[in-house]
Amino acid sequence: MTQTAMRQLQSNLSELARLQEQATSQRAFAAPSDDPAAAAAALALHAEQRRTEQYARNIDDGLAWVTAADTAITASTALLGRVRDLTAQGANDGALDATAKEALAVELEGIRKELLSQANTRLLGRSVFAGTSDTAAFAADYSHSGVPGAEVTRRVSDAASVRVDTDGAAVFGTGDDSVFALVDKIVADLRSGTNVGPRLGEIDGRRTAMLAVQGSVGTRQSQIERAKEAAVQNSVSLESRRTAVEDVDSIEVLVRLQAQELVYRSALAVNARVLQPSLMDFLR
Amino acid sequence: MSTFSGLNTAASGLAAARRGMDVVGQNIANQKTEGYTRQRVTTSAVAAIAQTGRFSVGALPGHGVSIDGVARLGDALLDARVRDALGASGYWSTRAVAATTIEASLAEPTANGLAARLSKFWSGWQDLANTPDSGAAASSILESAKELASHIAGGYRNVATQWSNARDSADRTVSQVNATADQIAVLNDEIRDALASGRSANELMDQRSVLAQNVARMSGAAATIESDGTMTVRLGGNALVSGSDSRHLVLAGPASIDSGQRFSLSWASAPDLPVSIDGGELGASLSVLAPAAEGGMLAGLAATYDKVATALADAMNTQHRAGVTSTGQAGGDFFTVPVTGSAALGLQVAVGSASELALAAPGSGALDATNADLISQIGRRAGSPDALWSDQVTRFGVATAADVQRAKLSDSAAVAAVGAQQSVAAVDGDEETISLLTYQTAYQAAARVMTAVDEALDVLINRTGLVGR
Repeated sequence: MTQTAMRQLQSNLSELARLQEQATSQRAFAAPSDDPAAAAAALALHAEQRRTEQYARNIDDGLAWVTAADTAITASTALLGRVRDLTAQGANDGALDATAKEALAVELEGIRKELLSQANTRLLGRSVFAGTSDTAAFAADYSHSGVPGAEVTRRVSDAASVRVDTDGAAVFGTGDDSVFALVDKIVADLRSGTNVGPRLGEIDGRRTAMLAVQGSVGTRQSQIERAKEAAVQNSVSLESRRTAVEDVDSIEVLVRLQAQELVYRSALAVNARVLQPSLMDFLR
Repeated sequence: MSTFSGLNTAASGLAAARRGMDVVGQNIANQKTEGYTRQRVTTSAVAAIAQTGRFSVGALPGHGVSIDGVARLGDALLDARVRDALGASGYWSTRAVAATTIEASLAEPTANGLAARLSKFWSGWQDLANTPDSGAAASSILESAKELASHIAGGYRNVATQWSNARDSADRTVSQVNATADQIAVLNDEIRDALASGRSANELMDQRSVLAQNVARMSGAAATIESDGTMTVRLGGNALVSGSDSRHLVLAGPASIDSGQRFSLSWASAPDLPVSIDGGELGASLSVLAPAAEGGMLAGLAATYDKVATALADAMNTQHRAGVTSTGQAGGDFFTVPVTGSAALGLQVAVGSASELALAAPGSGALDATNADLISQIGRRAGSPDALWSDQVTRFGVATAADVQRAKLSDSAAVAAVGAQQSVAAVDGDEETISLLTYQTAYQAAARVMTAVDEALDVLINRTGLVGR
């Protein structure tokens, strides 16, 4: 009887210790062997959670890129609008004399410099319009330093990557076809007395190209923002799945702990009553 | 029948009661002795001496009580059941302890486990892909790679250390089995002599049965009691102890975990005769130490570490060589594994500085990060080191859970067997007290009989034949 009593007490105590471990660590299993299926699920969920955190970082970084590109293109479009106005003014050969045209030419040169600096926008040391190159996007001779077909992408989910840089050649053109060369030609025309009226068509052409690229940048920006929402929802649902697999319900564990304590106490009391009396107490 | 035979009868009653009380005293004194089996005095009535001839006087009462001996109240069947149960329990509990120890050192699925480190490594490549020109991100990825390699090597070393410890404990168990076998042989000899000369050998038998239980727990041996009182202990069908002869076991096998050979147990006197052992702690140790090809627990885990290291190095190197550095040079190997020996121990990072990292796809510009992104996706491919590792952790968890469950079952079977044995053999305080009372009363009664016979003889001797005085 004593042996049985001792074994029962020990098994009660070890169950109490197990519940206490659960309550303090808040984990449903201490080692994979306690629940192999849950452990396998937990491993997969941890990996997915880590990836989702990384994607959130990528998304924030990507948003900074596309926003910078969008801002630069908006500014450039405004500048190009100003160029068009000045060109239209300069086309009015009859009303302007050489001094007025010189003034227009000087302003246009200033605008060209601004356009070039917009084209060479940098974000954290990287060129926004020539993502994979380590030099400025446009050199002094208006050649584009980016590699055609190369993209800077940010991975926003397990299956999707979004391009975050913009092809400067599509926005501004390269070399002689570039918008900067166009402005230079207009300046030269103004100074040499050629009518700049035909240039208006070319300006419109460049403007259309710029707006087209801005449209695709906007599309990518909204794609990244949708990915951001999806990533937030995903991380919430992953965390709730992980909790379901890995964590214990605190209330349930506390209730069980109380119940087990009660069982242990009553086992102690019963054993104390039953084991003590023996025949020796009753003999003279 | 002699005049004084009544006195002899009473005297024999006194002696029997006194012997009874002595045996009860022995039982009570040894209540807590390990392996003690309770004893009882056996007595039988003495028949009257037969008389024939002219002076026979008809039916005579018996001549008292004779003490036949002190019986040992054990049950050989229950003892054998206990030995079997202890053998199974020793086997499974040793396996369960080994499995849970190595599982605790894996530290899965916490943040200290290999799976979490691999995830962190692949994320680091994404960070590097975001900023390929950042020296900080590059040096952090190199540090992370070195940490990963040393984590894999550390895990392998843990397993190898546990393997060596298991080997040492197997050696110790073998020498303990040998020593116990010698002791059983010596006791066999003494018991046979005692029984042959009519002495009581109960205490020696108790000692021997404790030793036999120890041998059963350590090696799963079976024991039988022969007709001359000796115990024959058999291991794998052959006798470990037979009469007063004992044989020794010898364990031979590899000294390190990656040799891939099996252990062999054989007799010292016949080294080419293998002993098949599949129970007890020794059997469990040998199954834990078995090579990976035979499903050995530790060698299998070490082989997994090697496979993970090789898969990691191969996948990384293939992808890294497909890219170019920022100066346009093709990437080299990222990890190196040694040609011979353990891949896990020898895994090294081959890239020394940030400028050797091949992050770009060929022909895509200096700050392209396509290759870095592809490297970060290695962990998600089928057959990646992550998949290999988590598959193995799950399998190991399932096997360990099965071992722990069997250990619990065999433990409760052993408890039940021991309980059954003790219910017959253990000393019960109340029963011994009642026996004591009985013998005490018997002694008092026998003394009273003696007094009565004495008074009767007194009448006969001192009063008879005195007429008129």
